[in-house]
Amino acid sequence: MWYILIFIGVLTLAIFLPKLYWIAFEKPPRKPFILYSCVNNEFMIHRIGERVWVDTKGKQYSREEYEQKLPMMFYKQLLASGSMPDSIRGTALDMHAILREKSFFRLKANEIDAPRPELYPLFESRTGRAYLELPEDFFRITWRIEFIEATTNKIQEEKSQLFSAALFHNGFSFPAKFISGLPTFRKSCDEGYLIVDSKDQLFHLKMIKGKPFVKKIDVPEGVKFKHISCVDFNNKDFYAYLFSDKNEIYILTQANYKLINWAIEGYDPANCDLKIFGDLLNYTVIIEANDHQKAIALDKQYEIVDTYTEKWLVKEDMQEDWIFASLFPAQLSMTSDNSKFIRFYFTPSKGFDWIFLNLLLVAFHFIWLLKRKTKLKSHLADLGIVGISGIYGLIAIHLFQNKFFD
Amino acid sequence: MWKSVFYKEWLKIRWFIVGYTLLGVLGIGYMFLALKHSFAFTEGENMWHLALFQGHQFYSHFKFVPLAGGLTIAFTQYLPETINKRLKLTFHLPLAENKILLIMQAFGACSLLVSFLIFFGLFTGFSLIYFPVQMVSNSLITISPWMLAGFAAYFIIVLIILEPKWIFRFCYLLIGGFFMTIYFTLDGTAAYSHANSGLFILTVLLSVTFVFSAYRFRKGEA
Repeated sequence: MWYILIFIGVLTLAIFLPKLYWIAFEKPPRKPFILYSCVNNEFMIHRIGERVWVDTKGKQYSREEYEQKLPMMFYKQLLASGSMPDSIRGTALDMHAILREKSFFRLKANEIDAPRPELYPLFESRTGRAYLELPEDFFRITWRIEFIEATTNKIQEEKSQLFSAALFHNGFSFPAKFISGLPTFRKSCDEGYLIVDSKDQLFHLKMIKGKPFVKKIDVPEGVKFKHISCVDFNNKDFYAYLFSDKNEIYILTQANYKLINWAIEGYDPANCDLKIFGDLLNYTVIIEANDHQKAIALDKQYEIVDTYTEKWLVKEDMQEDWIFASLFPAQLSMTSDNSKFIRFYFTPSKGFDWIFLNLLLVAFHFIWLLKRKTKLKSHLADLGIVGISGIYGLIAIHLFQNKFFD
Repeated sequence: MWKSVFYKEWLKIRWFIVGYTLLGVLGIGYMFLALKHSFAFTEGENMWHLALFQGHQFYSHFKFVPLAGGLTIAFTQYLPETINKRLKLTFHLPLAENKILLIMQAFGACSLLVSFLIFFGLFTGFSLIYFPVQMVSNSLITISPWMLAGFAAYFIIVLIILEPKWIFRFCYLLIGGFFMTIYFTLDGTAAYSHANSGLFILTVLLSVTFVFSAYRFRKGEA
């Protein structure tokens, strides 16, 4: 029983002591805000905490100068101050075009490793109405596609059979591995869902006038999509960003269902956040990892025109982390920045500096046992526990004192 | 003899366990009545949309109900035993001391289990009227750590009550209090999918830790 209590104690302390330590000593990383400037064809950096605006060569700008270098981002300010240019690189800056081409996309690692809803509303794509309406039924894809009416919680057999047959005739292999869409009525129009079937084939499903629309999409040989994020951008250039199991980023064009691979390297959806800013002339892709940010600028043909990487000090590089690694042999957490699932996330401390403290604590406990004139033989386990789990074990042993063996 | 111990425990907790279960059943009844009302006024598809995509949990009021049950049963069952150290009388019964305590603990845990199974059954049954099995299954994953927390609270409180020294009671309360928070770390629907089995094992391990305090209680703090 004592060992169980010690185990529970060590586990609890390994969760909460590191948590308290980092609440007290963690410093926020200084992450820059990077955007590609179509005016001087290089990246512009805003160091937010320091209120400094620079380019990649370190040249400083005033806030106004910085905003003038990024007219697609700060067009409202430039219009207000009368400093909006008429054209850039021979392209007239028409406000309608700027607004049409402006887009922002963000995907966090914890949105990928997250519970999935398993039921989705399939909107009517051509209602003839100005606004979309939430359908009365939701679909799930198991051995077939089933529509379930929300009010009665009953399967709509006729509709389920109609859509299942349409998917089946287009070569869909049930069940679905991944379903992606925009399950909200707050969007400009409905484009249904992109679905990966059990054989990693990609399908587009939507409902037009109550009838199924199914399109099988040609996927390049060997490509398997593990995550898809549908988008609703004003220019209607593409349906979605698609992420392959090899961490490639694709887009699916709306005009001809073409999958285009953006030649972007360094993106790992498991532990990176992704931001994509689109404008009239460029896309700026920002890959944000724990310790660095990689910015990639693409032109409108999706060719890379420039890249820039900046590192920053993370807690692993700071003195506080060295002290942490000297105090605690490991840390346990129930949550992770990269997931929305609760798990027992175990992170061993960097290096082995903690061994010194562990040995010191073993010596302290040994002297404490000697002073109390206890039978040392009965307390060998104590010493082993402190040797391995360090401060967690020492506290646990003193909270749940080993009196059984005295 | 174990039947007599069971009967003794039943006499202590009967009104509390029955009252708690009734209150819980009434609470679940109210929860589903409110859900029926919401379905009537907000439309089923909106309720489903809220639950699936906006993290709405119609059962969120149920969160601390099992915890309250664990605390209630632990206090009603063991607090009278520790007043004037009455538990020591129990140790004079013709049964091994640990065995008596094990029977007492098993009775308390089983009473809670029966209560929770009633809640679980009612919750599942009523939920299936309004939601498809995928949504109900995710709800059950969400409430499972709350249920386990009820048992964990019971085991931890027994450990604390039986401990004879106040200083150690405080220590156990400190660790136990921190430990309990791992059952309530995140509210997201089905967020505990990967953690429930680990929490189940930890809760089962906790169930026998009372022997540690009981030993110290018997020896009058070794």
